[in-house]
Amino acid sequence: MAACYWFLFMLELRGLGFRYPDTEHPALDGIDLRLEAGQCLGLLGSNGAGKTTLLSLIAGLRQPQQGEIRWQGERSIGLVPQQPAFHAGLSVKENLQLFADLYRLRGTERSNRLQRCIHDTHLESLLGTRAARLSGGQQRRLNFAIGLLQPAALYLFDEATVGVDIHSRELLLGAVQGLTADGCAVIYTSHYLEEIERLAQRIVLLAEGQVRLDLDKRQLLGDDHGLLLEWPTAPPSGLDALLAELQLECLPTARGCRIERIDAPQLARLCQFIASQPQLPDLLRFGRPSLEQLYLHFSGGAL
Amino acid sequence: MRLRALVRKEFLLLIRDHHALGVLFLMPALFVLLMAFALAEVNQDRLPALELVLEIPQPSEESAFFAAALDEQLGESRRLESTATSAPHLRLSPAFAEQLLDTEQASLGLVFPAATDALSRQRVRAAAHAALAQTRLMAFLLDTGELDADSSLAERMTLIRQRTEVRINEQERLASGALDQRVNASQHSVPAWLIFGMFFVMLPMANSFQREQQSGTLLRLRCLGVNMGTLALSKLLPYLAINLLQFGLLLAIGVWALPLLGLPGLHLPGSIAAWLLLAGSLALAACSLGLAIASLARSGEQALMYSGGINLILAAIGGVMVPKSVMPEAMAQLAELSPMSWGLDAFLVLLVGQGSLTDVAPWCARLLLFAVGVGALALFLFLKRLNDTQWTTHN
Repeated sequence: MAACYWFLFMLELRGLGFRYPDTEHPALDGIDLRLEAGQCLGLLGSNGAGKTTLLSLIAGLRQPQQGEIRWQGERSIGLVPQQPAFHAGLSVKENLQLFADLYRLRGTERSNRLQRCIHDTHLESLLGTRAARLSGGQQRRLNFAIGLLQPAALYLFDEATVGVDIHSRELLLGAVQGLTADGCAVIYTSHYLEEIERLAQRIVLLAEGQVRLDLDKRQLLGDDHGLLLEWPTAPPSGLDALLAELQLECLPTARGCRIERIDAPQLARLCQFIASQPQLPDLLRFGRPSLEQLYLHFSGGAL
Repeated sequence: MRLRALVRKEFLLLIRDHHALGVLFLMPALFVLLMAFALAEVNQDRLPALELVLEIPQPSEESAFFAAALDEQLGESRRLESTATSAPHLRLSPAFAEQLLDTEQASLGLVFPAATDALSRQRVRAAAHAALAQTRLMAFLLDTGELDADSSLAERMTLIRQRTEVRINEQERLASGALDQRVNASQHSVPAWLIFGMFFVMLPMANSFQREQQSGTLLRLRCLGVNMGTLALSKLLPYLAINLLQFGLLLAIGVWALPLLGLPGLHLPGSIAAWLLLAGSLALAACSLGLAIASLARSGEQALMYSGGINLILAAIGGVMVPKSVMPEAMAQLAELSPMSWGLDAFLVLLVGQGSLTDVAPWCARLLLFAVGVGALALFLFLKRLNDTQWTTHN
C-alpha cells in the first residue's frame, strides 16, 4: 500500500484491564504490550483467553477500565473481522466503492487503493457479482479487500481466512505481508498456527486475560531449541542422574524432557544410556519445536 | 460524503428488496382498491333509491296528485307493482278524495316489510306526510276556488310547489366535527391504507438495521468513527423519501385510478402547503417509529413481529380497518391514541371539510410531537444499540 506510517506509528498498552459485568475474573488483567510500525503481532489464546476483548479495546469499541492505550500519531485502524462485514445486497464493486467513500478516499489515492486491493484479493472477475451470490471463500476475499482498502496505521485481522481455499489463502497472507513491508502494523489472530508462524514477527499468547508469552518468533522458534525426548509412560529412573552428571540444562515435560543445548560427546553418552534401557523413547526429535507444540505447552493444553 | 454514500447504499438495498417494495407500495395500493370496492355502498352522500308500492283502490284527481307529489318527494325512488312484497306498501283509503279535508279520518296506511331499515321507513313516512299535506292544500284551494278546476296536474303541482316552498339559508361549517360519517369509500380507503402503508416502513428499516448489525458492517462503521447522527440520518432520510413517494403515488391512485374502476375519485381541495405539511408530519411520525423498532429488535424475527404487530394494532384502533364512525364510543375514544387516527382526521379535514393549513395544523402538530417524542426514544435506543455492537467471534 502506498500509505506508510512507520515514522509515526506506535501502539503501547500499559496495564490494561477490563472486567465484564457480573463476572468473577477479569477478561484482561494488566496487559502490557508495545507494537512497532512494520511489525506483525500474532495473537494466540484459547477461547475466552481475552483476545476479542483486547481487539475491541484497541479498536476503540470498548473503553479500558484500567491502564491506558497510547498511540503515537493518529489512531487509524483497518479491520477484517471474522464474520463477513459487508452488504450482501450490493455487488462487490458497490461494496468497495461504498467503503471507499466511508474511508473518505478521493482522486488518485482512491483509484490506486481500489485497484490494489482488488488485485491482491483476485476479485477482478467478480466485481459485478452481488455479494450474496459469492461463495464462502469469495466472501472472505471481499471482506479482506474492504479491510485492505482502508488507509490505516494498524490492521486487525480476526480469523480472517476461515473457510478460504489454499490458493486464496496464499493471496491473502501475501497481502498481509505486503502491509508490514509497507510499514504498517498488524495484529493477526488465527487458529491456523502455521499462518501465525509465517506472518508474525512477534507472538503473544494470552491465557486467562494475561500475557503468558510475549516473544520474538526467532527466539521462540529458534533452530537451537535442543532435543526433545519422551517415553510412552515415564522417563527411565537413571535419566535425571545422567543429566546432572553431564551438566545438561533441561526442561522436564510430562513424559520426558527437553534438553536445551547438547554437544556431540554428551549426545553419545545419552544415546548409550537410552539404548541400554528396557523401554525406548516413543519421541526423539532434534531441532525446533512447532508453534503448535509451544502453544499447547504454554496454554496448558487448551485449544 | 459519508452520509451521501450511506443514503445511496440504503436506496440501492431497498430497490433490490422486492419484498420490501411489495409491502411499501403494492400492498397498500391493493388495499386501497379492494377496500374502496368493499365500502362502495357505504357512506355515500346520495341516499340510495327506495322501492315502494302505492296502492290506490279508488283512482281520482286527488290520488293522482298525491302520487305525483310522492314521486317528487322521494326523488329517484321507484314505484313497484302491488304484488311486490319486499317493498313498503303505502295504501290510500278508498274514500281518499272525500276524506282529504277531514283531518279526523286516516287517509293513508303504511305496511313495512321487516327488512326495511329505520332510515328508509323514516324517509317513506316523511314523504307521505309531505305529499298528503300538498294534496290537502290542493284540495283546499280547489274547494275555495283559488285553483282552477280545469287546470292540469302539472299546473297544479307548480302552484302547490310555489305555495309550500320554504327557502332555508343553509351553510356548511367546513373542517369541523366528526367528518368520518360523511366520507365516501374513496375518501376513507385511500387515506387509511396510505397511512397504513407509510407506517410499514418500520419493517424494511428494522430488517436493514438487523442485517447491518449481524453482518458486522455496523462494527466496521463504529471502528471508522462514523458518528451516530450520520448513521441515524442515513436510516431516516431514504425512508422519509419513500414515505413521500408512497403519499404521492397512493393519492394519484385515488385521483386517477379509482374513477377508471367506476369508484368515486378523490378530489384534493386545500392548499399545497397543507398537503405538504400533512405528508411531512406523517412521514416523520412513521420513520421515527421505524427507527425505534429497528433499534429495539434484536433479530429479523423480532423486527417482523414488532413492526407487523404494532402496525396492525395502530391500524385496528386508529380507524384504518374499521371507520371510526361505526366504532362504539369507547373504541372511538381509544382510537385517539393512535397516530394513524390523527393522520386520518387530518386527511378528512382536507378531503371532506375542505380545510386550510390552519385547520389541518392541530392534527399535524400531534403527529410532529409524536415524531419528536418517539424520535428521541429511537435515538436513545439507537445509540445504545450502537454501543452494544461489539466484536464477536465464532470460534
